[in-house]
Amino acid sequence: MIRFVRLRKEYGTTVAVADLDCTIESGAVFGFIGPNGAGKTTTIRIMAGLLAPTAGTVLLGGHDIGREPEAAKAITGYLPDHPFLYDKLTALEFLRFAGGLYGLGGNELERRAAELLAQFGLAERATDLTETYSHGMKQRLALAAALVHRPSILVLDEPMVGLDPQGAVALRRLLVELSARGVTIFLSTHSLNVAEALCDRIGILDRGRLVALGSLAELRTRAAARLDPLEGNGSLESVFLAITGAA
Amino acid sequence: MRRSPSLLWLLSPRLLAARGALRRGRAKSILLGALAAVCWVGCLVGFERVLAYFQTITALGPILTERLLVLIFVSFFAVLVLSNVVTALTTFYGAPEVNVLLAAPLATRRLHQVRFIESLVASSWMALFFGLPAFVAYGVVYRAGAVFYLAVVATLVPFLVIPAALGVVAATAIVLAFRARRARDVLLVASPTLAAAAYLAIRLLRPESLASPSGLAGFAAFLADVGAPSPWLPTTWASAILIPLLGVRPGQPLFHLGLLASTAAVCYLGSAALVERVFLRAWSRAQEGETGGGQERLLSRVLPALTAPLGRPASLLLAKDLAVFLRDPGQWSQLVVLLALVVVYVYNFSVLPVDDGSPLAATMREVGALFNLGLTAFVTTSVAVRFVYPAPSLEGRSWWVLRTAPIPLTTIWWSKFTIGFLPLAVLGEGLVAVTNRFLGVPPGLTAVFMATLLLVIATIVSLGIAFGAAYPRFDAVNPAQIATSFGAVLYMILCLGLIAVVVALEAWPVSRLFWHRLAHGPLAGGEPALIAAAFGAVVVVTGAAFVAGRRAGLRHLAALEP
Repeated sequence: MIRFVRLRKEYGTTVAVADLDCTIESGAVFGFIGPNGAGKTTTIRIMAGLLAPTAGTVLLGGHDIGREPEAAKAITGYLPDHPFLYDKLTALEFLRFAGGLYGLGGNELERRAAELLAQFGLAERATDLTETYSHGMKQRLALAAALVHRPSILVLDEPMVGLDPQGAVALRRLLVELSARGVTIFLSTHSLNVAEALCDRIGILDRGRLVALGSLAELRTRAAARLDPLEGNGSLESVFLAITGAA
Repeated sequence: MRRSPSLLWLLSPRLLAARGALRRGRAKSILLGALAAVCWVGCLVGFERVLAYFQTITALGPILTERLLVLIFVSFFAVLVLSNVVTALTTFYGAPEVNVLLAAPLATRRLHQVRFIESLVASSWMALFFGLPAFVAYGVVYRAGAVFYLAVVATLVPFLVIPAALGVVAATAIVLAFRARRARDVLLVASPTLAAAAYLAIRLLRPESLASPSGLAGFAAFLADVGAPSPWLPTTWASAILIPLLGVRPGQPLFHLGLLASTAAVCYLGSAALVERVFLRAWSRAQEGETGGGQERLLSRVLPALTAPLGRPASLLLAKDLAVFLRDPGQWSQLVVLLALVVVYVYNFSVLPVDDGSPLAATMREVGALFNLGLTAFVTTSVAVRFVYPAPSLEGRSWWVLRTAPIPLTTIWWSKFTIGFLPLAVLGEGLVAVTNRFLGVPPGLTAVFMATLLLVIATIVSLGIAFGAAYPRFDAVNPAQIATSFGAVLYMILCLGLIAVVVALEAWPVSRLFWHRLAHGPLAGGEPALIAAAFGAVVVVTGAAFVAGRRAGLRHLAALEP
C-alpha cells in the first residue's frame, strides 16, 4: 500500500506538489498523469527518497519514507525517468551490485540476475559495459535492477520511454503479472494509452494539485459535463484534456 | 532564399551560457579573479626580474633575451598542441551539441568554423592568460611602445591558430584510427604520462645545480647552452617578430609575421578541408562503442573476492568504485602523475645535505622534519583533490542507485571515507617514514609525525567528501576537470590552511623534543605540559574539522541532485 499524507514540495515560491493526499491499495496499478511540469517526477523522487518534502510524507508499505527510509526503500523498486547507470560496469555487475545493496547475495543473487537478464533480453550482452548500451537497453537493465529484490511496491517514472514496441508490450505484460501477484505499481506516464490499458486507478496532477482521482469510469463521469461533444469520445485522452482544461 | 546562420549566432549558446555563469556566480568569479590576479602579478614580477638581469649582461644579454622568448613560445606551443588535441576530440567528436549542428541545414565548413573557434578558445585561454605577463614584462623592461603590444596581439592570433588546427587534424586522425572512446582513453593516458615524464626528466636534470651565488647566473648559463632555435619553426618566427620591436637586435618583423600568418592560414584551411571531407565518417565512428567477447570480465570475479573482508555494503561500494576506477583511464592515469610526484618527492629528500654532522645539517634536519610533515600533508591533499574530491561528482547521475537503496547515508559516507582514507594513509605514512629516515629524524619523533599525519589525512578526506558534494561537477568528461574546478580550489585552500595551523602548533614542541633528544638533557619544568597541550590542540583542531567536514558532507550528499 502507498499512502500520501498532505505531501507538499516547494521550490522557493513555486509549489511543485500541493498537499497531495491519497491512498493506493496493495496490488493496484496506479497511473499518475499530468501535463509537463505538473509535479509528477517531483512526487516520485520524494517517494524514492531522492528528495525531501517541504511538508507531509509518503508511507510505503506502512513505512514513512522520511522516518524509516531504509525500511521503505527495502520493499520498493524504482525506475527513474532517465536511468543513468554506471558506464564502466557490465550489466551483470550492475545487477549484482544493485542486488547486493538490497541484501541479496550468493547463488540466490546469481540466479536472480541471470533470470532477469534473460527476461529482459540482455543475456547475450550481459558482460558488455553499459556505456555501449542503447537507451532502450539501459531502460530494460534499470528495470531489471528495480525488480532484482522482488519489491512489493514498484515506482516507475515514464517506464515506456525509450522502449521498442516489443519491449513496451513485454513490460505491459510484466506489470499485469506483477500486479496479479500483489505488487503495488505506481507509474507516471505521458502515454495515456498505457494508463488506460493498465491502470486500475488514475490520478491527474495539474500544477502540483491532484485534480482528479479514480477509475477511468469515475473520471469519465466526472468529466462528462466538460467533454467536448465532437471530440469527447470518453477516452482517457479526452477526459484528461477536459479535466486539465487543455482541450 | 534561406540564409546560413552567422558564426556569432552559432556561438551564441556558448556566449550566453558563459554570461549566465558569470552572473550566477559573482562571488566565485571575484575569488577566482583574485587568485588569478595574484598568479598573474607573480609571473609578471618573476619575468621582469629575469629580463632586468639579462640586461646587465652586456655581451650575452640580447641572445639570452631572445632565447628566453623562444623558450616561452616553445613551451606554449607544446602545451597548446596537446591541449588542442584533447579539446578537439571533445568539441568535434564528443560534444552532444554536435548532433544539433549536424541535424541543422548547416554546411560542414560552417560547422568546422564554429567548433574550431570553441576548441581554440577552450584550449588556449588559460595558456594565453598566464602567458601574457611574460610579454607584458618584455614590454615594461624594454620600455616598448604601443607597436610592440599590437605586434604581440598580431603574433598571438596566428600562433594560437596553428596548434588549434593541428589539434583538429590529429583528433580527426585519431578518431578515424580508433573509436572515440578508445581515442579518448589513449589521450587521457598519454597526457598525464607525458606530463609526468617531463616532470621527472626536468627534476633528474638536477636544476638545483644551475643555482649559483650570483643568483640568476645559473639560469643564464642554462639558456646560453640551449642550441640556437631552428629557423623553420613558428615559435622562432613568433620570437623574431617581437625581438626587433624591443630594440634587442635588428630584424624583419613583417616578414616573420607574414610567415606565421600564412602558415596559420594554411593550417586552418587544411583542417577545414579535412573536416569537410571526412567529418561525417569520423563522427559516425566516434559514436561506435566496444562490445565484449561474451566472457565474464576478470575484475568481476577478483574485486568482490578481494573486498569481501570489509563486509557489506562497504565491500560492494569498494568493488564497484575500483572497477569503475580501473576501467576509466581518465581516473587511473592520474596515478602516473602521482607516481612521478612521489618519486621526485623522495628523491629530493635523498639528496639533501644532512649527513655532514655540522650544526647547519642538524638544523636542516629539524626544519626539514617539520617541513616534511607539512609537505607530506600537502602532497596528500594534492592526491585527495585528484581522487577523493571528485568522488561525489563521479558517482554522478547514477547517484540514484545508491540513494534509493535501503542503505543509510552515513554508511555510504563511511564507505567513501574508507575508500579515500586507506590509500592516502598508506601513501602519507609511507612518505613520512621514508623521508624522515633520509633526514635522520629519531624514530620517536617520526612516530609523532605519523600520528599527526593520520589525523590530518582523516580530516582532509572528510573535507574532500564535503566539498566534492557541495560543488559537484556532473558535466565533467574528465576527472581532472573536476580536480581543477572552483570547489577544488576552495578545498585546497582550506586544507592548506589546516596544514599550516597543524604545523604551526607542532613547531615549538617538535623543536623542543628534537633538541632534547640531541642534547640528551631534561625538558624544563613546564615544558612537558605545554608540549602535551600543543599536541592536544592538534587533536582538537583536526577533530573539529573532521566532524564539521563529516556533517557538511552528509548534508550535501543528502541534497545531491544530479
